Amino acid sequence: MASTGDRLKTLIADNLEIDGQSIDVPDDLDISLLEAGVSSVDLVAFAKLVARDFNVKFTLEHCTTLNSVKEVADFIDSQPG
Amino acid sequence: MPASVADCWWRPFRKVGSAAVLYVDLTPDAAREAAALAWLDQEEQSRSQRFRHDGARRRFALCRAALRAILCSQLGCPNYQLAFGASHHGKPYALVNGQPAPIGFNVSHGSLHGLIAFAAEGRLGVDVEERSPARDLDGLIGSVMGPAERAELTSARGNHRLHLFYHLWTVKEALMKALGTGLSSDVSGFEIPLAMRRGMKTSTFRFSHLPTVRWWLEDLGNEHFAAAIAHELSPGSH
Repeated sequence: MASTGDRLKTLIADNLEIDGQSIDVPDDLDISLLEAGVSSVDLVAFAKLVARDFNVKFTLEHCTTLNSVKEVADFIDSQPG
Repeated sequence: MPASVADCWWRPFRKVGSAAVLYVDLTPDAAREAAALAWLDQEEQSRSQRFRHDGARRRFALCRAALRAILCSQLGCPNYQLAFGASHHGKPYALVNGQPAPIGFNVSHGSLHGLIAFAAEGRLGVDVEERSPARDLDGLIGSVMGPAERAELTSARGNHRLHLFYHLWTVKEALMKALGTGLSSDVSGFEIPLAMRRGMKTSTFRFSHLPTVRWWLEDLGNEHFAAAIAHELSPGSH
């Protein structure tokens, strides 16, 4: 089964873009979506997708307080399955 | 900095009470971006280089350089004396020679448009968004709007629905930025005043958890973008 990081990379590639360009998420996942320039509206939509796809409570607040995609992956993995 | 006003990529946009709002043109322009980068300090230049997307890099550099020019002009200080700190929630504030400066400001940018608001007193927040059709507008509405807002959006149709969504969203985000918590709070937990939901351009607002503080809200949107400002009113103001 794909890792949480790989699933997040796919989710980002399929659903987020900046100025019509896909977002290049590095292998170490050390990228902040907010800092990268993803709009606040897109972050809300992304938070909903993460909550649905990983079946965890994940809100806009998590999107803005977790500083990188790596931290998002770690957060998801820390939730009781 | 640009040699003349004609070379500037920012210009006065709106006066909102004691606050001023400037528009920043974020259209791609290599000469402007080079001039902007030269105006940034070393830390800001490093941050700029870390952006992986040209558009994000451009927006940061053009807005930050414009902000520096505005603050230097307002505070009467040279650029090298100006630096920025950040609150716990990441809201930036100005420092001159390491001391907090007596001015509040807020910056927002979306695609090709930036806004910078500043005022000598009162917290303020500004937000600008291009009205991009969302893939899941219903889902977004369910996530960030309160019950009455959801009801109004449900009855709105087509383009009006999209405009109303971005209108409400920018007011909410401006309020959260003014409060200093950014988007780390539940934005569906408060609702924009009815008058503004029904088309009024201005209103006042109080958070239920902060009843002694009143905020001035104003719609700054036009045909190109949705935008709003929230500015803390002084206790004696009407």
